[in-house]
Amino acid sequence: MQLKQLANISAALAAASCAVLGQQAQAGTLLDDWQFNSAILLYNETDRVSAAEAVFTARGDFGDDKYLNLGLVVDALTGASATGAVAQPYVQSFTRPSGRGSYEVAPGDTPLDDTFHDTRVQLDASWEQPLAPNWRISGGGHLSKEYDYLSLGLNGSIARDFNQKNTTLSLGLAYSHDSIEPEGGIAAPFAPMLLRSSFADDESYQAAFAATRDRADDTKDTLDMLLGLTQVINRDWLMQFNYSLSVADGYMTDPFKLVSVVNSNGEVQQNLYESRPDKRTKHSLYWQNKLHLSGSYLDASYRYMWDDWELSSHTADVKWRLPLGQSWYVEPQLRYYQQSAAEFYLPFLQQDEPVPQYASADYRIGKMSAYTLGAKFGTKLAAGNELSFRIAMYQQTPENDGVTAPGILADVELYEKVTAVMAQVSYSF
Amino acid sequence: MTAISVQQGNNCVVGRFRAMASPCEVLLEGQHFALCQQLTQLAAAEVERIEQKYSRYRSNSVLSLLNHNTGQWQAVDTETAALLQFANTCYTLSDGLFDISSGILRRAWRFDGSDHIASQQQLDALLPFIGWHKVTLEADQLFLPTGMELDLGGIAKEYAVDKVLQLLSQQFPVADLPGFVVNFGGDMACNRPRDDGSLWHIGIENPTLADQAISAVGLSQGALATSGDSRRFLLKNGVRYSHILNPKTGWPVTDAPRSVTVAAPNCLLAGMLATTALLQGADAGAFLQAQGLTYWLT
Repeated sequence: MQLKQLANISAALAAASCAVLGQQAQAGTLLDDWQFNSAILLYNETDRVSAAEAVFTARGDFGDDKYLNLGLVVDALTGASATGAVAQPYVQSFTRPSGRGSYEVAPGDTPLDDTFHDTRVQLDASWEQPLAPNWRISGGGHLSKEYDYLSLGLNGSIARDFNQKNTTLSLGLAYSHDSIEPEGGIAAPFAPMLLRSSFADDESYQAAFAATRDRADDTKDTLDMLLGLTQVINRDWLMQFNYSLSVADGYMTDPFKLVSVVNSNGEVQQNLYESRPDKRTKHSLYWQNKLHLSGSYLDASYRYMWDDWELSSHTADVKWRLPLGQSWYVEPQLRYYQQSAAEFYLPFLQQDEPVPQYASADYRIGKMSAYTLGAKFGTKLAAGNELSFRIAMYQQTPENDGVTAPGILADVELYEKVTAVMAQVSYSF
Repeated sequence: MTAISVQQGNNCVVGRFRAMASPCEVLLEGQHFALCQQLTQLAAAEVERIEQKYSRYRSNSVLSLLNHNTGQWQAVDTETAALLQFANTCYTLSDGLFDISSGILRRAWRFDGSDHIASQQQLDALLPFIGWHKVTLEADQLFLPTGMELDLGGIAKEYAVDKVLQLLSQQFPVADLPGFVVNFGGDMACNRPRDDGSLWHIGIENPTLADQAISAVGLSQGALATSGDSRRFLLKNGVRYSHILNPKTGWPVTDAPRSVTVAAPNCLLAGMLATTALLQGADAGAFLQAQGLTYWLT
């Protein structure tokens, strides 16, 4: 008898209640203290890097406007990345960054190191809660680990609402401590890339390679500050302004990048490991508009970034979410990016000129422009869950910053375009 | 027309009116004052329609007419038939504990906080006229035996919450639906989570502290309904008699929680389960656990 009384009658009752209301029977949970978001991203550069990334985030509602945010990101990268060395009309040999093994690059090809592979795991956690009426605070931390890299960080923010919550001012601070321990150690600034073939035996090669190494590992400390202003302009328009400052101190050289030294005919004499300054101060201004335009949502933003490496960039990003039938939406996106070269960026060094204090041939800090063209398709599912698909093309176009290519360099591609496609599936529940 | 008022809330606009002997609210996400006013007016009109149709206090309501014309077949409209069919399912599934024909026990019990306990003699006189199984319901007609009376008080408010939520949602295209909550005296439903993904936090009356709200209850989807005896009880010789009556014995259920709040996809279901849980007395918690839904007991 007792057993019968305590039987689960909710499913049968649910069906009966839906019949009264003329609704389809609903499934799933009803009270969600936790919101989850999961996504898988695939990124593929033509002939270069491929990456797969899985993201899982959770937001817990603890009542009284208190939230716990947790995040897990796992990504895996494989493929080849540009070393910074210049292409030549003949076969070139390169030593792998570890010092063990070598690879060859075909005539006319941009030298790529094909041993690039890494797996990264990142964990984030933060807590946010009201502090007093109209005040909110949050605090959190992150840990990110790759094979040769570890980043640990702490962050906090405080926000104040004004003007009946139509205006919000916020201040955020973040500190992170990164350590890098590349395979083969860290090369001394402008140490030459040695080739095993130039040595009589392994022993003498190993001794010479070890002599080019400065230390096994190094660190970098970064302090970020953000000042934000969010303003509700009217019921259909929200505007945001941010100023952020980032001060980094420590090792910022890429231990795997090279700079070629060429003679007056453009022939590579030697490849040197690059060297970058150990201090960098970045500023950025960000302006975002979110608009509701008769059933569609427009998100347009612009960012201007500048730093004391004399690198400055402009980013314009427009996303427009349009309804597609009853339950789907489509969101085309166009993003345009343009940057000037860092003051020490050089596509190559000339043999007859003195070696500067710093130099890097990494195209990512050279003059370039890039654009992303993509679209996202999403739908709200029955239980309020959301499924979306995004596909995008990303093209980086490095540009010549007024450097004359001598001799044979005039006939090879020094500024090769990098094209990538991205595909993403996200599910929120 | 019911008097409504609209006020600015915390990141939302709240429209208020009184109906079904309860404070009623429509909470609309954002600051759309005029829109909230329109929605609240629609809500008030729909509640008034339902109240006019199913209130036993209104002599010309559909329900009062059914109760008046007992002992004969009576035609019922589609909406009423559906509600009675639902009540029939509830009766069967609750093993006869949820019975819309038990309202006449009110004649013996007045839950006014006093010590006037009903006598067994009074109850014995009423029990023959209680029992949904004595009623015959067909697709479009009903036979209510003479002396019996139906009371939809345990369903109508929850039904109104669901109907209003449905009606308000129909005012918008699916892709452009603003978030809102319909809250009629603690029975409530929302159409979706808030824009920032957070829960709607709505106070539920705590029966032990009648004026203090429990704020820990959040709603992101679906409905909440509460059943309890916050103000309706009798107290005699230290025994608290809840207003939840066992239709089979005519006596108040003992050892039941003071109140039960249940979360479910719709308010009708939530309310039904909350009431049925209370009818289980001391087994309320175990019953709710078996339902696999979120609930709160006090």
